[in-house]
Amino acid sequence: MMLFLIELWESVRDFMNTGGIVLYWLALVLCIMWVLMIERYMYVTSAFPKLAKEVVGKWDAREDTTSWYAHRIREAWISQANEQLNARMQLIKTLVAVCPLMGLLGTVTGMVHVFEIMANTGTGNPRLMASGISMATVPTMAGMVAALSGVFFSSRLEAKVKVASHRLVDSMPHH
Amino acid sequence: MKTVLKSVALAAGLMLAAQPVMAAAPQAKTLEQLLQQVQKDRLSDGKINKEREQEFLSERADKQALLSKAKRDLADEQARGKKLEAQFSDNEKTLAELEEKLTLAVGNMGEMFGVVRQVAGDANSRFQTSIISAQYPGRDKEMSELAQSKELPEMPQLEDLWFALQKEMTASGEVVKFPATVTTTSGEKKQMEVTRVGTFNLMNDKEFLVYNAEAGGISELSRQPESYITDSVADYAKNKSGYSALFVDPSRGTILTLMTQKVTLLERYNQGGTVGYIITGVLGLGLLIVLERLFVLGGISAAIRKQLKSDTPSDNNPLGRILKVYENNRNVDVETLELKLDEAILKETPRIERGVAIIKVLAAVAPLLGLLGTVTGMIATFQSITLFGTGDPKIMAGGISTALVTTVLGLVAALPLIFLHSIVYSRSQSLIHLIEEQATGLIAEHAEKESK
Repeated sequence: MMLFLIELWESVRDFMNTGGIVLYWLALVLCIMWVLMIERYMYVTSAFPKLAKEVVGKWDAREDTTSWYAHRIREAWISQANEQLNARMQLIKTLVAVCPLMGLLGTVTGMVHVFEIMANTGTGNPRLMASGISMATVPTMAGMVAALSGVFFSSRLEAKVKVASHRLVDSMPHH
Repeated sequence: MKTVLKSVALAAGLMLAAQPVMAAAPQAKTLEQLLQQVQKDRLSDGKINKEREQEFLSERADKQALLSKAKRDLADEQARGKKLEAQFSDNEKTLAELEEKLTLAVGNMGEMFGVVRQVAGDANSRFQTSIISAQYPGRDKEMSELAQSKELPEMPQLEDLWFALQKEMTASGEVVKFPATVTTTSGEKKQMEVTRVGTFNLMNDKEFLVYNAEAGGISELSRQPESYITDSVADYAKNKSGYSALFVDPSRGTILTLMTQKVTLLERYNQGGTVGYIITGVLGLGLLIVLERLFVLGGISAAIRKQLKSDTPSDNNPLGRILKVYENNRNVDVETLELKLDEAILKETPRIERGVAIIKVLAAVAPLLGLLGTVTGMIATFQSITLFGTGDPKIMAGGISTALVTTVLGLVAALPLIFLHSIVYSRSQSLIHLIEEQATGLIAEHAEKESK
């Protein structure tokens, strides 16, 4: 088990080395993205229903639900609940969008590396250039994979948030 | 020509010799006298002939004896000749044998000589580049003499070679300090203590040094490697006992020399040119706006939070101003109140949303500027191609890396701006939601509480 973990770590480190420093930034972004997504998922599934129940309970306890005041109050509560629900969703979306850009950044820095080697040693040694080229291509791939993993789950999350919000609105009828 | 001259001289000589004979013969005056003279001559000639004949006859016996002696001598000589011939062939055989032996012996020696020359040549080239030569100069000269000499090496020379090789081996395992003259980057020569780590590195108390094989001296690097590498040298020099980590160049100075060609971050940034500076300006502007926004929005949300806790509406925050509208229009009907509130809210929102869109525009513009830089860089590259052709990739590579640097700069500027935009945007949105959707709700709650 330990050996397996060590081997896994080795292969991860090798991968990081071929991709250069950009991969570490990408890993950081990916990490933050996933932490935020998991946090949102947990909030939507466990914490938000409690809040919704509380709000609905407060609404149901009201006698007046049809006056202008009641409408405004309802809107304000829904808005507050939505505020809680949508917190950091924008950041998650941004992080997903940023992943391929970071991959691109890695590509370009890799290409700079390649051309620098070319400027120093000429085109004689393709082996020297290969390290730069792998530095250029690996981050692109990593960025794509990171973005794809994020895109799917973040869109799922967004749908979930929307559904939860609609459900809250629906469960506060004017009676 | 010579022969012609000779024959002419000979003829002249004969003529000179013949004349006195003709002159000596007395001139006959009459036929009778001539007859008598002929007769007289014939008589004297016959006498002379007889004398000669006698002489020959007497000598004949002698000649016979001489002949037989000569024949004996010949036989003797022939016998001796045969004997010598046999001896000669014998000698020839031994000669061939000896020669064979000689070639064998010389062959072994020649092989050894070749090996010595080769080893000395190898050692020479190794010593020339080895940094150990910085400590013991002049070793390569002896080796090159040995490698190029045409004579068989003497015993002391062979021992020298062996000793030199072993010295190199021992020295390659040492970490030693020795005084040496070092050429500084400004060109002056300085005496200082130099530390040598095996055959790998030379360094003084804080920097790496390189051994220049051609100039045969130690010199400072024109540019030291990164500070965390150079710091290990200083740490090592300070360490008095025990062990200390040290960066060592396993390529014996090649990597260190290559590192001097490495472009620093600042140089690379400057490669971006005008477009690079513009992108930096865009980033700076964006960051300034973000800072200003964060500060203002933070202030507003702090004031609003304060307002939520107090009952008296204050003028220093949007929510307070909206609440004030309600306070001032307590007695109007609901529709008018809603219109007035909408008006007040509409007045507040631009102040909160201001600048957020600009950040987004700047974040979008930065990569585009990078692209612009790339294209101008490519134009420069193609210009250099039209001028110098595609022969030298180094010329092109310089332009291309310049072109790519702007792309990097554009992305590096865009990434933080995108992040910060999303943060500022979500902050402003939450504030907008608060005053648009929740402010009226608060007023309604307030009104309900009062009416009770």
